[in-house]
Amino acid sequence: MPFEILFGLLLLIAFLAFVACFFEDAESDCGSQSNPNSQVQLAAQIGYVHRFFNKAISGEPLSNCMYATTACTVTWVLLRQFEPMFPAEKWKAAILAIPLGVLAGEIFHLIFATTAHLGRTSGQSRFQQPLYLDVFYGHLVPIMTHGFMTTFCITGIAYLQANLGTLSGIPELNHPFPLPLLGFIWGITVGSIGSSTGDIHYGTERIFQDRPFGEGKRVVYHGMITRYADCGIRTQKDIVAFCIKYGCPLTGMTFGMIILFENWRTVLGMLGGGYLTAGSAAGAAAAAIGIVIGLVIGIALILGNLYLVRWARKRYGPFVGE
Amino acid sequence: MTVPTAPVEEEEKKPEKGWPPTETKLGIIAAVLGIIMTILPFMPSFVKAIGLTFVLVWGADSVRKTSRYGLGTGVPSIGVLAVGYGVIGAIAGMGIAKVGGDFTIGGVEVLNVGVLGGVAIAALIGYISGIFSNSEKFISMKIPGLERGMTELGVAGTLAFLLESSMVAGTLKLDAVLEDVFLSGAIAFMFVMSAIGMFHPFNACLGPDEDRGRTLLLSFEISGLICIILGIVSIALGAEWLGSSSLGLLNAALLILYGIVVWVVFYAKFVRRSFEASYEVVGTGLIKTVK
Repeated sequence: MPFEILFGLLLLIAFLAFVACFFEDAESDCGSQSNPNSQVQLAAQIGYVHRFFNKAISGEPLSNCMYATTACTVTWVLLRQFEPMFPAEKWKAAILAIPLGVLAGEIFHLIFATTAHLGRTSGQSRFQQPLYLDVFYGHLVPIMTHGFMTTFCITGIAYLQANLGTLSGIPELNHPFPLPLLGFIWGITVGSIGSSTGDIHYGTERIFQDRPFGEGKRVVYHGMITRYADCGIRTQKDIVAFCIKYGCPLTGMTFGMIILFENWRTVLGMLGGGYLTAGSAAGAAAAAIGIVIGLVIGIALILGNLYLVRWARKRYGPFVGE
Repeated sequence: MTVPTAPVEEEEKKPEKGWPPTETKLGIIAAVLGIIMTILPFMPSFVKAIGLTFVLVWGADSVRKTSRYGLGTGVPSIGVLAVGYGVIGAIAGMGIAKVGGDFTIGGVEVLNVGVLGGVAIAALIGYISGIFSNSEKFISMKIPGLERGMTELGVAGTLAFLLESSMVAGTLKLDAVLEDVFLSGAIAFMFVMSAIGMFHPFNACLGPDEDRGRTLLLSFEISGLICIILGIVSIALGAEWLGSSSLGLLNAALLILYGIVVWVVFYAKFVRRSFEASYEVVGTGLIKTVK
């Protein structure tokens, strides 16, 4: 029975990873962090006054790491207080501790979002970029709610990992790292994937939408992305609505698949090596099988990507000029 | 197409009421305060927090010094680099203090000069990496003042990390710090928030009209946030102060109070100054039509 619960928990972690990265991408679009941020920063300088929110807290990895770590630290503090109340069923403590911890993380997020927008806007006053208060206040709630979803899922993953053994009934599977450290690692990971996969999609879908394949981006188009939406003046809310169709699910899928493959190979290795029944004596065999499965997955992904790139180049060809 | 008015020549704004101090002055004040608070681990947490605040402001100023020559996306990395030096320096320092330089009276650690060895190591690593980055033979970045900036970052990062550890654990003894800071996971929060405290101010205010006085206010504000959470963490760990747990609770409560006051004061100040410095603050409005 513990195996089924273990498999279930690992699938739950992969699902949470999908949701986390989905909302991470939506949240970074809400506040123009990372790649789109350079366009927002540039727009005012070349005369395009805009109504975008400039959330330059830092790169996405570090800022997500900050919210997740804060959330996990507060959750960890609360768990220490609540867990003695339910000695037999400690998981009950998490029901209240995780949302409260995530709320603390998101309050930090909100504070940093305001300082970043105010700082960047006042740092551009010579380009006559006004501080629109409706843009300022209107984006804070979407930023916080999307961020809440990301941080909640990341804190959930960290909690599940830290207590995997207790929850599945195989005690040696509890993660040796404490909760805040797991939040730190997962925060950086979700931010990096949201930044690398999500931004590319934001760009390809929006900036290059009506440009020939392979043309690149000419200087005259810089800042254009901040001007007009399908209807009226564009704000970040249009970008979120746009990216939620393809960019966000794809970003979520990237992270979810990484976690899924990783968990899958680890568990298969443990099953094959007999780690789950024989204990740490079978550690070497479990690790060896896990590594081999991992290599096979890696090679298959590389071959798939090569084929896809070849196909795309053949299908669309290089840019031949206008 | 409407061309923006030509950028006005940079005018050096006169500092109001001595703020901000010059870079050297700020560095000396912060280093002296930080070192005094670090080597006296028996002091209450909120006093150490004053040292932490100044050290973070100094770090933010060093990040600004290092990055304003055109580093855009690199600003966060510089802050993380500083705390990276800091963790190495702090662990080395506490290790050195274990061998010598640690004076305890009646179970309470009163003086710990050994950790300054770690500060020196971090400064050295910072200086060497500054030389490597700037030297023609190696990376050749040629950023003016990089060596000084990196050295200062090493020192500021180490002092910040040591002060935070001593605020949470109540001492700088390596075993206690390993237990309360590393194994509990509080190190993750300290690492990322000290880095944010150093790089977020410049990253958030970056732009041609960035103003040093306004930028550094943000660092004060972030140090308040750090103090609030570290206070909560030290309550959860049941930290003692001068060997008594009720005094430890009072100590942590004072730290949280200090954090709240610092955060409220400097956040309000920053928002006010940003509103004043903006080109225009309007409720709503359309964008300029460009043709």
